[in-house]
Amino acid sequence: MQARIRELQVNYDDFELKVSGLVFEAEKVSVLVGPNGAGKSTLLKALTGVLPVKPGSIFIGGRDLAFLRGAEKASLISYVPQEQALVFNHSVFDFILMGRSGFLSLFSRPSPEDYHKTEEVISYLGLEAFSRRKYTELSSGERRIVLIGRALAQDSRIIVLDEPTTFLDPKHEIQIIDLMKKLATERGKTIITSLHSLELIPRLADFLILLKEGRILASGPAREVFKTELLVELFEYPLKVAEAEGQTVLLR
Amino acid sequence: MTGSGQTEKKIILYISVLLPLLLLLVSLLVGAYRINLLESLRIIWTRVFQPSAEVLQSPSANIILNIRLPRIILALLAGAAFSISGAALQSLFRNPLVNEYILGVSFGAGFGAAFSLVVLSHRFPPQLMAFGFALLAVVLVLAIAEGARNSLIAVLLTGIIVSALFQALLSAVEFIASPYALQALFFWLLGSFSQVTWPDLYWTGPTVLVGLIFLIKMSWRLNVLSLSEEEVSSMGIAVKRERILVIILTTLITSAVVSVAGIIGWVGLIVPHAVRGLVGFDNRLVLPVSAGLGAFLMLVADNLIRMFSPYEFPVGILTNLVGIPFFLYLIKKSKSSWGY
Repeated sequence: MQARIRELQVNYDDFELKVSGLVFEAEKVSVLVGPNGAGKSTLLKALTGVLPVKPGSIFIGGRDLAFLRGAEKASLISYVPQEQALVFNHSVFDFILMGRSGFLSLFSRPSPEDYHKTEEVISYLGLEAFSRRKYTELSSGERRIVLIGRALAQDSRIIVLDEPTTFLDPKHEIQIIDLMKKLATERGKTIITSLHSLELIPRLADFLILLKEGRILASGPAREVFKTELLVELFEYPLKVAEAEGQTVLLR
Repeated sequence: MTGSGQTEKKIILYISVLLPLLLLLVSLLVGAYRINLLESLRIIWTRVFQPSAEVLQSPSANIILNIRLPRIILALLAGAAFSISGAALQSLFRNPLVNEYILGVSFGAGFGAAFSLVVLSHRFPPQLMAFGFALLAVVLVLAIAEGARNSLIAVLLTGIIVSALFQALLSAVEFIASPYALQALFFWLLGSFSQVTWPDLYWTGPTVLVGLIFLIKMSWRLNVLSLSEEEVSSMGIAVKRERILVIILTTLITSAVVSVAGIIGWVGLIVPHAVRGLVGFDNRLVLPVSAGLGAFLMLVADNLIRMFSPYEFPVGILTNLVGIPFFLYLIKKSKSSWGY
């Protein structure tokens, strides 16, 4: 399923995000990069409807996001936030199960089908050994996977992730990157994510969006946008894209 | 709820429902006038199935039916209402220190009921006034504390100030009250079950029961609502509307109790905290177990007062004396969340 930003404008304090004509394709990973404060999180929150948007701004599979509610919205798009502090310590299973809540009314409890979906996600992610553990007993990398698991339990066509690899060690970083890739190719999800580690872009991104000061600097197929001159302009820092051992790499 | 440890938790759930019911029977026997259990039960049985029987004119019947039973029922309702409200509000505010006392609900309700009794001399139902002002208090607290960077401190401080405002308004009502009304008001505000009569329970009883049922029905959703607002709304949930509903329900049942029993603080802090230690954090267990255990403990406290205190020591003072040190201990323990 395709997500499309027709014309989006978000203002707060003296920051303005203004983006138009962006399309995120199904079975592809779209990556959003830019310096701190470029508006990446704002854009992602607008895409998931966490920030209210004007009618006509964003379309999810042809439907106007501003009018999407409840179970219908939950089935189309889910959001994986940056790591959250959890006040009440639920088990991994219960936490992933919460991904089903968009389909449940205020007064209902998860059905056997919801439990079944949760078990499926747990086995897909290989979390069987963890499922009874408490969320706060997990490492940072494990928590990110559990957060993604919750979005998978929601089983939306589009998954939006806010810097899912930040602060992770290389092993977990790669694990999450490969998981996102797999979700796009194997499960046909539309993956939209912001990314802190530029080095990982060639491994992950099909489509790349460079965001600077609330505006799109460049966007397009990753190999066309992941270029030295564009990255230098984006970060105002001497970076270099090179080829080594048949791979595209980034030199600092 | 599958897997190991769940059976024990289920057992705790059943025990927490049974305990208050068993204690209800025992509590019928507590008091200066000796009545045995069989006689007590026969009186209640007769009252239900042969309400015109001669036996009901006896002093024993009068004591059981008009003094002990309403008092026991009120204690049970109060314990359940305060405890389940505390548990629900703590999830909603993502903060285990929040309770109806901190949010200004208690003094808002206290002022509303007192205002109705003294100034309007019952022309407006005190229960309704209690609910109205309790809701006003909590809305004030939330509106002022909203958007603060450290929401915990903001809510606590605002709650204290708003409570102080309603305490001041209460003092004003006390000042203009007649000496007779003042005395009644004074004892009522300290929190006590001793003055309750059946008509007091006609509103409080059904309100609390309905509130308990709805909150328990919502208990799984409350797990979800304890996530950040962003996460919840990204799931397609109308988070603001659902939070408001929980606040209205908890305010409704606590104010219904306050309007009859006066201000009994901190129960909603202590009981859910203990319950989470027993059953973990899943509100599907925390809410019903808190209600049951809260009802049980409140009745234990009231029985102790009836047995050992010569002149009806107010239960509200007792819960303050236990609750405030406990609150201070929790604050000390959770210093990191204060944001220094």
